[in-house]
Amino acid sequence: MNDSHPIVAEALVRTFGDIEAVRGVDLQVRQGEVFGFLGPNGAGKSTTVRMLTTLLKPTSGRARVAGFDVSTQPDEVRKRIGVALQDAAIDPLMTGSELLALQCVLYGLPSSRGGARSNELLERVGLVAAKDRRVGTYSGGMRRRLDLALSLVHSPSVLFLDEPTTGLDPMSRMSLWEEVKRLNSEGTTVLLTTQYLEEADQLADRIAIIDGGRIVREGDPKALKEAVGSPTVFVEVPHAQEVAAREVLSTFGESRPGAEGQLGVGLRGGAGAVADVVRALDEAGIPLLQLHLSAPSLDDVFAEATGHRLEGAASDAAAAGQPGAGKPGGKRGRGKRARKQEADA
Amino acid sequence: MSVSSSGSRAGAAAAVTTVSPVLELDPKPVAQFLALAERAINGSIRQLPLMVPSIIFPLFFVAINTASFEKSLPLLKANGYPKLTSFLTFTLAATVVQGVLFGCVAGATDMATDIEQGFFERLIASPSSRIAIIVARLAGSVVIGAVQGVLFTLILMGFGARLAGGVGAFVVLLVSSGLLALAFGGLMSAVAIKTGSAEVVQSSFPLVFILLFASSAFFPRETMRGLFRTLAGWNPVSPVVEGLRELIINGWSTSAALKAILIPLAFGVFAFALAARALQTRLEAR
Repeated sequence: MNDSHPIVAEALVRTFGDIEAVRGVDLQVRQGEVFGFLGPNGAGKSTTVRMLTTLLKPTSGRARVAGFDVSTQPDEVRKRIGVALQDAAIDPLMTGSELLALQCVLYGLPSSRGGARSNELLERVGLVAAKDRRVGTYSGGMRRRLDLALSLVHSPSVLFLDEPTTGLDPMSRMSLWEEVKRLNSEGTTVLLTTQYLEEADQLADRIAIIDGGRIVREGDPKALKEAVGSPTVFVEVPHAQEVAAREVLSTFGESRPGAEGQLGVGLRGGAGAVADVVRALDEAGIPLLQLHLSAPSLDDVFAEATGHRLEGAASDAAAAGQPGAGKPGGKRGRGKRARKQEADA
Repeated sequence: MSVSSSGSRAGAAAAVTTVSPVLELDPKPVAQFLALAERAINGSIRQLPLMVPSIIFPLFFVAINTASFEKSLPLLKANGYPKLTSFLTFTLAATVVQGVLFGCVAGATDMATDIEQGFFERLIASPSSRIAIIVARLAGSVVIGAVQGVLFTLILMGFGARLAGGVGAFVVLLVSSGLLALAFGGLMSAVAIKTGSAEVVQSSFPLVFILLFASSAFFPRETMRGLFRTLAGWNPVSPVVEGLRELIINGWSTSAALKAILIPLAFGVFAFALAARALQTRLEAR
């Protein structure tokens, strides 16, 4: 195992009876990076995180976190990691400041530092005004922010965030993303599981795509997307000139499905060829009504690796408030891929 | 966050030492126990509606029984009851035990809820002492049990019950209440940890009823016959209530005080061991 990485897993397996939830996961997360663990529900993300955070024992395989073995040195691991689990398990009867004080004691922060640290974290996550309110009265976003603050009381070197934004509104999601970026810029290594493509794209330096308990792709999101293929340009021209336009576009690459009334083409020459497309259509006397360029998405990477699309990808884009998502008209009757391309554009 | 910039950031950070020192962190089991016990007590106080039945029902039983038997005291004495000036004095011990047993269900339900809602995972994901998690929860039950003991004693004394054993009897009543809470809280916590289900804990409530009514809590053993008398003889609740009753009715007796304290203490240790075993099994099954 490589001790220079804060998270290393080798052939990690976890079974529940006959069910193999995780089937041989190998991971190496580098110091100071945000590592995205992307996959649909039931892919094995949370089970892997629970093993790495000492909450589950691996059936086989080994893992070291912050330099310590999760199976044989769990206490050492626990002192060095922060964990925010999927459901933001927070006692609704306690107030925010009470929970932070309790967490400080559990992690052994000296009482002289606990109060100051709690106030600092409450300020950081914007909960100073709500600190004396019972958590049961908090909104979902507030609970997530408090959960994040709780995971930070002991300034962990490695932070695990298990689907931190699931169920949050776009504003709360953005706010949490900003906080994760800030933490990472301060040197915290973050392993983040998510089923949201946009989240992985926004936050992760590197991602691993997990499906059926196995990692099927791993790497830099940009490189993974580039490996899938060329970007697609979608154009809209007057109906009478669609045939002629199709002929012009075919010289730039293979035809790709687009929205109703749109012609799509995969650009062999990359995004730089868009100008040539516009010029060629102009020279052919075909007026351009609309054009947009869609880069390959992580959903394309996921589909290429697994043979199926990540569930909820389109709704994810809509929920993230992306331009293009939820535009009126044109969505009905189109494939999921086309909708996602539009959303990504 | 652009991919190019993030890639360079990770690269720049690669030189940082992986095994970070745990600066000034010194998790102390005693401090963890105290903080978690405070949480358990606060949790009970903040859910007063859940505690109300464990206070109202015993008082309800007292009211009914006293109304029924108060005028029959000479008749009762002829049928195995001790000499009483008030039926409340006879029923005080049973009322305290009843309230404590009912209250233990609420405490164990809180523990099961912690498991169901994931707070238990937060605790075990931290470097906290596993034993502190259980001891703190039981300590919460002990404090609540003792408070209930004081409350019932004061209420019943206000209506005419008397403690012949004086302050000594009052202290034993208080300690015994706490230890009973430890014993039954431990048993119920074992169920909570084993099942992780608040519903299962709550559905075991009738067992508390059976344990209580199949004892000599409400009737002296001398008035019982057959299977009921045998069950009451085996039931550990019987000697505890009898010890307390002797202190309340007849005055100070060291043997009665020891009976009222040592029996729940022994069962408390046993129940704690059961709960600790259940926790170990739960953690090993992970």
